Amino acid sequence: MPRYLLKRLLQTVLTAWFTVTVVFVLLRMAPGDPAVNYAPPNPSSEQLAAVRHEFGLDQPVLGQYLTYLQHLLRGDIGESFQFRQSALQVVLDRLPYTITLAVAAIAVTALLAIPLGVWMARRGNTAGELGANIATIAGQSMPDFWIGFVLLIVFAVNLQWFPPSGFTSMSSIVLPCLTIVILQVALVSRLVRREMVTNLNAPYVTIARSRGVSERRLTWRYAFANSSIPVVTALGTRFAAMLNGVVIVEVVFKWPGVGELVVDALERRDFPLIQATVLVTVVLALLVQLLVDMLYPLMDPRVRLQEARR
Amino acid sequence: MAVLTVRDLTVDLMTGLGALRAVDGVSFSIDPGETVTIIGESGSGKSTTAMALLRLLPDDLAVIGGHAEIAGRDVIGSRRHVAALRGRTVALIPQDPMTALNPIATIGRQMTEAIRLSHRGVSKAQARERVLDLLRAVHLSQPERRLKSYPHQLSGGMLQRVLIAMALSAEADLIVADEPTSALDVTVQAGILDLLLEIQERTGAAMLLITHDLGVARLMSDRVHVMQSGRFVESGAVEDVIDRPQHPYTRKLLAALPKLGSWDDPGTPAVPRPQVMKEGV
Repeated sequence: MPRYLLKRLLQTVLTAWFTVTVVFVLLRMAPGDPAVNYAPPNPSSEQLAAVRHEFGLDQPVLGQYLTYLQHLLRGDIGESFQFRQSALQVVLDRLPYTITLAVAAIAVTALLAIPLGVWMARRGNTAGELGANIATIAGQSMPDFWIGFVLLIVFAVNLQWFPPSGFTSMSSIVLPCLTIVILQVALVSRLVRREMVTNLNAPYVTIARSRGVSERRLTWRYAFANSSIPVVTALGTRFAAMLNGVVIVEVVFKWPGVGELVVDALERRDFPLIQATVLVTVVLALLVQLLVDMLYPLMDPRVRLQEARR
Repeated sequence: MAVLTVRDLTVDLMTGLGALRAVDGVSFSIDPGETVTIIGESGSGKSTTAMALLRLLPDDLAVIGGHAEIAGRDVIGSRRHVAALRGRTVALIPQDPMTALNPIATIGRQMTEAIRLSHRGVSKAQARERVLDLLRAVHLSQPERRLKSYPHQLSGGMLQRVLIAMALSAEADLIVADEPTSALDVTVQAGILDLLLEIQERTGAAMLLITHDLGVARLMSDRVHVMQSGRFVESGAVEDVIDRPQHPYTRKLLAALPKLGSWDDPGTPAVPRPQVMKEGV
């Protein structure tokens, strides 16, 4: 196990390095000059050159990249162009908001999607199941920005139940969370249903039924326990994706998380801040993946055996 | 009194092409201690008959008609009656032991569960003792070690012994054995059949055996029913049916058995006869 962990951590480092490299190169290939945003209005070419020099953008790209890596290895992620302070600090200030939103969204998704998926699997070919089927297909087909705007108009503008934007109180989380949850529940419940149908029809469930095992036990201890790997994987992957900033939802609701931050940073060509955001969220997402992978042996003894053999 | 009585059983399976009559009015009964075999080729309806009697076919895919009683209780009209019989009065020995156990629970846990389902109020320690007794009774080697094993760590033959031990734990009046050896290696088959005979002698349970194998039927049965396209075409004592078949289908089944003969025997065809009865498993 320690060897496996070491291998996975090395993989994480390599993936993070690859990602920041791609982001670094793409940013400098993209059109637009950051200096324009940070020089005085109507700048002279000398003023622009001075800004470029200050940010090190007058160096060749390879030189900039090597300096960046050198700083990274020392733990220095760079200074934000716009905030004039450590980009890492700016990201870390915003991160709790995104993590809160992601944790809330994934928890509500699991609480709703698992019972719904199990229920759909047990109620095959009934009117209720058909209704749930249509609802979940609709849920996964609606674009999230549209759901966000509809919720905003109905619950924030017309009914005024929840604040429309920003983070003013804990109730601010309700609408952005709900926007994410609608799509995620639709996706995850259908996965749960598919896995459950497969397992409920598996021979071991039929044979256990012949021994008098109760339907409730067959559903949860047999079929659901055997569906848990794909379901936990899906929830983990979605959680990791949410940590990368649920960009559209954060922008729609002006939620002060990293998603909103990165959009702003992109508009202002704040290269170090974009790089820092990507680095932090990628590492977080990879760690979540690693955690999920480490749960596998707990869920399925057959994985344990493979680990031992490795 | 018969343990199982079946009268005019019909099963209609809902397929993509409409309803299909898989079992078309079969009637038979089994007395205590007796083994009755339904023999037939794939798709003849023999397994469907067994699964219908245990009500293990999904309601939306199979419509069951006729009349059947297990230990005097109607199993066609009431699904609840069957649920009460499971794990106590009837036990099933499945076709493929490799897929018949929960892959993520240990043998010990699944057997303990089976015991506590058929005997309420048994403590965990008592159940564990009983599990070990049962595993010894089915001649499983190193039973203590197997308790902690998962199904994938055991061979097919060992798993079938575990499943037979589970069926035994119910102390059932009727054991339904659905092709109990067809997924196993030939060398393992004989051991499992011996075990089934031994257990039946000891417990006096009635057995409904489903097989496509005439050799198995000959060894195990008191009476046989030959099934073709959902109907019994010939029924009788095993010796009569296999030694003096009356129906042309039974004769064809018997003729399909590969015969052992001398290699030099000029009367033996060079190419072995095709084995019509081979299961598509």
